[in-house]
Amino acid sequence: MLKRLRSIFFFQESGLLLVVVLLGVLFTLKSEPATYVVMETGADGTPQPVMTTNPDGEKVPLRKERNKFLNAQSLAQLAKDTSFIGIMAVGMAVVIISGGIDLSVGAAYALAAVLAAKVMHYYGPLGDGHLMSPLSGTLLGMAVCIGTGVLCGLVNGGLVVLLRVHPFIITLGTMAIFRGIAFVVTGGQSVTDFPTTDGKMAVLQGVIKHETGNELYLVPPAVMLLVMVVGWLFLRRLAAGRRVFAVGGNEIAARFSGIRVENVKLGVYLISGLCAGISALMSLGYYGSGSSGDGNGYELDVVAAAVVGGASLMGGRGSALGAVLGALVIQMITHGIILLNIDQNYSRIIIGIAVIAAVVMDNVNTALARRRLARHAG
Amino acid sequence: MKKLLLLAVSTAILALGLTAADQPAAPKTLRFGLVAKSQSNPVFQAARVGAEAAAADLGKRYNVTIKIDWETPADEDAAKQASNIEQLVLAGESGIAVSCSDAAKVTDAINHAVKNGIPVVTFDSDAPKSDRFAVYATDDYKCGVQIMDALGKEMGGKGVVAILAGNQNAPNLQTRAKAVREEAAKMFPNIKILDTYYHKETPADAAAKVEQVMNANPQITGWAMIGGWPLFTKNALKWKPGDVKCVAVDALRDELAYLEDGHVNLLLAQRCYDWGYQSVTLLVDKIINHKTPAAAFVPSELIPVTKANLDAYKKNLDIWMPVAAPAK
Repeated sequence: MLKRLRSIFFFQESGLLLVVVLLGVLFTLKSEPATYVVMETGADGTPQPVMTTNPDGEKVPLRKERNKFLNAQSLAQLAKDTSFIGIMAVGMAVVIISGGIDLSVGAAYALAAVLAAKVMHYYGPLGDGHLMSPLSGTLLGMAVCIGTGVLCGLVNGGLVVLLRVHPFIITLGTMAIFRGIAFVVTGGQSVTDFPTTDGKMAVLQGVIKHETGNELYLVPPAVMLLVMVVGWLFLRRLAAGRRVFAVGGNEIAARFSGIRVENVKLGVYLISGLCAGISALMSLGYYGSGSSGDGNGYELDVVAAAVVGGASLMGGRGSALGAVLGALVIQMITHGIILLNIDQNYSRIIIGIAVIAAVVMDNVNTALARRRLARHAG
Repeated sequence: MKKLLLLAVSTAILALGLTAADQPAAPKTLRFGLVAKSQSNPVFQAARVGAEAAAADLGKRYNVTIKIDWETPADEDAAKQASNIEQLVLAGESGIAVSCSDAAKVTDAINHAVKNGIPVVTFDSDAPKSDRFAVYATDDYKCGVQIMDALGKEMGGKGVVAILAGNQNAPNLQTRAKAVREEAAKMFPNIKILDTYYHKETPADAAAKVEQVMNANPQITGWAMIGGWPLFTKNALKWKPGDVKCVAVDALRDELAYLEDGHVNLLLAQRCYDWGYQSVTLLVDKIINHKTPAAAFVPSELIPVTKANLDAYKKNLDIWMPVAAPAK
């Protein structure tokens, strides 16, 4: 039993898991208690605050105390905030494993969001499209969102393969192009008013912002976990995934082994674009609007998550689980700055230091694990 | 073995945390979250100073401790603002003040806060469809009209104008830019509006944008800056003073040099210190005195600053922008 438990800790991401646990312990112990308003379901079925009488005889909402970090709502919010970056980080990990990089993910995310938003606005209550039902209009918007992400990925992959220019340059260019198209299409305006059946909440929001229990929005984190599992299966269990490692490890050797390197490269950017489209869909559903400013700067967060998660910028190393854990570590640090009431002016410094520390801890743990494995094998 | 021990300890703490008994809380401290658009824009740092000052003044008056939680994203990011507001709700804030980067993105988060019994005010840039109980802001349309009126007079009613407009998604800036264009069309038919130029709202990006546009369009004889972003850098305006007329919004310390040397003809100062001060005052009034303003829109008048009243105006800045940032 001990041997089996030991083997769990030899896997690549155990160091990151340790970091997550340590951060959780730190925030639990160090954050001040938070007061929250106790809610109940009212006669009309909507959440209402429970009222009590204060010492002055006034009716005020009943407030209780709880740990600021360790409560269901806080953890669910952390998971939700992680999901937008985490989903894209899985795609980015695949690209980085192949030896490439995709700086256009934030822009692809914005373009997918605004094009889908425009379609759904057209079939929404204020749009001119009345031939489709709200559900059909929503499904079309969802298809446009995912399809735009895939198309962006294909453009990136196609340009990298055809022009034989470093993907850093290609995706730097497409980052500006995708963002520019998003701005021209929307004129800088936020696009909202999606199809609705009850006039209160859009169909898409009803699905993605579905409330489980008391203010727990679990659909985006669930989708992130699904993307992570599919990513893990692809990279670890499918021949196509192993080819990605081969190309990233040694492109020349892979080519001489009969691997069609160009097809692999096209495929990884397609996957990155697909992940950007899925993440954009989660954002559209959660926030109910799309704008050309969405995802501004996200590419750096996504690359950081993949690298913190163990992906090597030299290629040939990385994992889907690591990418999601990397996104979680970065989000935990961001949340922790608020939880611990640290001055937000120092947030970038703290995040930078914490990211370096997390990677160092993970590398040390991996090295120690390899040494133990070698000792046991010897 | 060490990892197993760590896991066991963590599990114990987890169990403790989840089963900890709830206790009713007695509020002696009010915590207000301040969620501005970005840390890198000095006007919001001035708002923070105002909020901290109001916290000190009103705390003494009402004998409570008022703390300001500065939860502003490093760079403009409406989704991050929404997330910060959600976190402030979970943290049990007493009230929240927001300047919205994108009203559509933060409206739900604001409504969620209000639904949980946390009053919300907006300042500078509103979310009009949200459940905030008040907004303290410049009348953005009037602001745009004022800019164009002053600029048109400086230009003698003729010439070519460029509009510097910051973040293209911000509703307040969109309104100001629209007002500038409409006022020019109505009152100054001999003035041509060349274009509206957007940029990332950092001083360096704004200064670079002005330089690029001027190099490409030497025929420009007037700039309507609906925010004063480039004036927070040195030597951002390369023209000879007087060759190009310029009216800009905001008059913080770094911007005054441009007025003094004649590069800028008029600065319309937003009361950015009061964004913070009045927001906290409105929240305290709501929570302690149970009062809300008669109208949701509480106007903040602009202060025209020229060379003539510059010295009198400077006295504000020692209060608005002290040399050291306020301690948290």
